[in-house]
Amino acid sequence: MVELVVTVPNKLGIHARPAAMIVRAAVEFDSEIWLESPADKVNAKSIMGVMTLAASGGTSVTVSAAGDDETTAVEAVADVIKSGFGEEMI
Amino acid sequence: MLFKGIPASHGIAIGPAFLLKVEELRHARRTLDSDHEAELEVLRFQKAISDVRHDLENIADSMGNVVEGRQILEFLLLLLQDPTINKEVESRIRCGLVNAEYAVSTALRGVMDKFEVMADPYIRERVADVRDVGRRVIEKLIGTEKEALKNLDQPAVLVAKDLDPSETAGLKPGQVLAFVTDMGGRTSHTTILARSLGIPAVVGLQKITAEINPRDILIVDGIHGHVIVNPTKKELKYYRNVRNRFFEAEDLIQRNNPGPAVTEDGVEFELAANIELPHEVELVNKLEADGIGLFRTEFLRLVQEKGENEKDHYEIYNKVAVQMLPKPVIIRTYDMGGDKFRTGLDTDDEANPFLGYRAVRIGLDRPEEFSIQLRAILRASVHGNIKLMFPMVTHIEQLRRLLDLLDLVKNDLRSRGVPFNEEMQVGIMVETPATVIVLDLILPYVDFVSIGTNDLTQYTLAVDRGNPKVADLYDSFHPAVLRQIDTIVKLCHSRDKWVGICGSMAGDPLAVPLLIGFGVNELSVAPTLIPDVKKMIGVVTTTAAREMAVKSLSIETGLRVRALVHSYVVGKYPEILLDENDWRLT
Repeated sequence: MVELVVTVPNKLGIHARPAAMIVRAAVEFDSEIWLESPADKVNAKSIMGVMTLAASGGTSVTVSAAGDDETTAVEAVADVIKSGFGEEMI
Repeated sequence: MLFKGIPASHGIAIGPAFLLKVEELRHARRTLDSDHEAELEVLRFQKAISDVRHDLENIADSMGNVVEGRQILEFLLLLLQDPTINKEVESRIRCGLVNAEYAVSTALRGVMDKFEVMADPYIRERVADVRDVGRRVIEKLIGTEKEALKNLDQPAVLVAKDLDPSETAGLKPGQVLAFVTDMGGRTSHTTILARSLGIPAVVGLQKITAEINPRDILIVDGIHGHVIVNPTKKELKYYRNVRNRFFEAEDLIQRNNPGPAVTEDGVEFELAANIELPHEVELVNKLEADGIGLFRTEFLRLVQEKGENEKDHYEIYNKVAVQMLPKPVIIRTYDMGGDKFRTGLDTDDEANPFLGYRAVRIGLDRPEEFSIQLRAILRASVHGNIKLMFPMVTHIEQLRRLLDLLDLVKNDLRSRGVPFNEEMQVGIMVETPATVIVLDLILPYVDFVSIGTNDLTQYTLAVDRGNPKVADLYDSFHPAVLRQIDTIVKLCHSRDKWVGICGSMAGDPLAVPLLIGFGVNELSVAPTLIPDVKKMIGVVTTTAAREMAVKSLSIETGLRVRALVHSYVVGKYPEILLDENDWRLT
């Protein structure tokens, strides 16, 4: 199990489009991957889950993964979040 | 009948209504007898998911390069394959021993409940996407699919309670002219798709499905969010015109030379735009016009069917002026009557509407109502470069009364501490021979004038250009019109007053060199004409323009004047747009 804490850097936070970007990155890996905010913990491969997390800009989220490719999986998902989804940053 | 909703996708469409009836899906609970049966049900569910995925992928492929459309379809595909939801459905089937339809609908109900309480309205809107995907899966399971749209046998306006995003994505722009729905919001995927497909749409109309019958004719104004059911002839004519202009916009931007209008000898010339609707400002700015030389306000009558509302006026003037900053916007007060529609005005049919109750004649007759417009223009004047223009002023006492009324409104604003631009310029349209003849007496009262060549021509020549039997006599190149323009410009310049031209003559390529030669300060033309007029200005030198203008004053006929200009520009601007009469010149 690997963990990484990242801050959601874009103004609008994880709304539908960013959620889709996260899920698309997550489904590439065999590991189980989760996103955890102070409020909730969800499956990073579930678009519903990631959206209901409703992480706003500035929130800290923990990306964790367990499985054979857990290290690269956590880094890949964290990178997508850190990129700010190509949107306006805070 | 007019309905107001939320403007979801820009554009104007006119066509027959096609009502899309949606059956409520039945997905009653059925209890399964055994675990084995449950496994078969799970397989059936997985098959449905893979069938729907196939359908959605096909729709995504058909979207070609509509980027937003593909993104939305990809989003729907992610929803469809969401492992959390699918595991939940499967465990409901296995543990609850219920049929797949029931398991899907209950699982999704839970998800949608969770969405509907989300604080972010953007995420709340995604409920429609969940419902869309759920409906498709259940339809596959039941084995019934919406066939209704396939019955669309001619281009029509789709009328529905709601449209699912995937359904919208499958719409063909040529076949579906527009859609209007009871439900929906501005950021739903359905409306985003409508925008990317270029299909005009008005949503959130609440009960329009109950009010429309199949084959009713609808006008969909996706700019203001209006739907007119079974419009009058005048409304049809008006909206056809607006629609045609809308379609041309994209093409225009391609053809437009960037930068300001400059004559061949390098003199910058003020080229402004005439607009009718606020959204045209976007195009005007893209075409780099130098301002709005004429902002017609008659459409405000159409959008305020409950009577004059200062807020409506103010917000629109303000928006246009701010978007144009720092460039000027000349707002012309109501010019109703004549050939313009009279929605909301209880005027009788007149034998001679052009000589009748129109424009400021109505305004002065209804000072309370007219003050609403004046007040809104004044209030907006602090936020932009606004000038006010009165149309159809024929009598000086009329002008005095207009200015008194304006002063009254100003005093009222001052006493209430409402800011306005004390220096706001006030001008008039010059559009009757009477105004030209007494212009020296009028000029002390105004800051500027703008020549309305359409009315000036028809009043000068006593020709109704709408009457085909005499329309060929209508000619803005008639010496009587040219000489008046020359007189107006000379007089204005001798008194240091600015003079523009906002009639359609300003947009006639062959008139452009003459008008420059007469010395007008500005040409204001329909946005669609800006690229051509700009090109025309670019092939004329100021000296040649001056020579042609002087020469034109002693030519006997309009046709000979056109021939004069034509022979000058034809070599330089071969693709010049010619009037239907001009074949005689070549």
